[in-house]
Amino acid sequence: MMAAGKQVGLWLDLGLMPYVPSFDIQGQILQARMEGRLTPTVILQENPPIFTIGRSGSRNNILSSTEELQQRGIDVLEVNRGGDVTYHGPGQLVVSPLFYLGDIGLNANQYLHRLEDVLMELLARYDIHTHKTEGFPGVWHEESKIASVGIAVKHGFTFHGFSLNVDPNLDAFNLINPCGVRRMRVSSIRQVLGQAPPMAEVKTQLKEIVEKSFKMETRITSWPDLLKHLECESCNP
Amino acid sequence: MRYDIEIPPTADGALEVTIVSWIKNVGDQVSKGQDLAEATTEKITLYVTAPAQGTLTQIFVQVGFKVKVGTVIGSLEGI
Repeated sequence: MMAAGKQVGLWLDLGLMPYVPSFDIQGQILQARMEGRLTPTVILQENPPIFTIGRSGSRNNILSSTEELQQRGIDVLEVNRGGDVTYHGPGQLVVSPLFYLGDIGLNANQYLHRLEDVLMELLARYDIHTHKTEGFPGVWHEESKIASVGIAVKHGFTFHGFSLNVDPNLDAFNLINPCGVRRMRVSSIRQVLGQAPPMAEVKTQLKEIVEKSFKMETRITSWPDLLKHLECESCNP
Repeated sequence: MRYDIEIPPTADGALEVTIVSWIKNVGDQVSKGQDLAEATTEKITLYVTAPAQGTLTQIFVQVGFKVKVGTVIGSLEGI
């Protein structure tokens, strides 16, 4: 859908939701996107503690035993994004833009870097000055990674995306080689600033930057409303 | 009719990807658009999908090998 040259998309905040059902929702939305039944959609979520292993990853980069993970209440799941092992948990904002590369005029690599640019602009609004590091995708503050990227592309449609550490439990990263890198340091907005901004405020800032960066407007929706739309075969995208 | 199965041109032409899985095997019947294989860079997973309905007849590049985007990695005999 286009309005005066701008795409019109949806902004779907799932809140705190376990990884598996939230990924199932992402799958349903991706399918609808590929079938032309839905406009570009940005999915936001926080997950209960979980380590996910991307398609380039290895279980060997989780340094804790299964028993220890169970004690800490951390699940482990192999997923189909690019990249290695990472941690997701409350206080970390996980964002999956479901875009069509042809619509945004970028190839997969350029899109990945655009996501990093979005994150850098967002963090700059909090006076956190970040950089990219050649060979180590993601967004870095000094020597620490503060946001990770990892995408998948099917028929030119993107899924997965990035995670931003607003105020997660950073100790969990000590149990893994984050992104497969030994002793990689991980940071958060709270760690840099000494306090964390409200998550709702971060999301509002992000919405503004995503809309500007990808030249689109997004309308806030909920999963029940979107599901009704997906089940309505006569509805327009 | 024979169809080439290519790494999709959704990334830089110079980009190298690693085949991480063949989702379908030689001899499998597939429908157009169905996932056949997964290829990755460090941070990007690309799905290789069937260009037509038919039978997967050949796999040229096995799991673990690196290839450039646009490389033909298999073939499919269309119905």
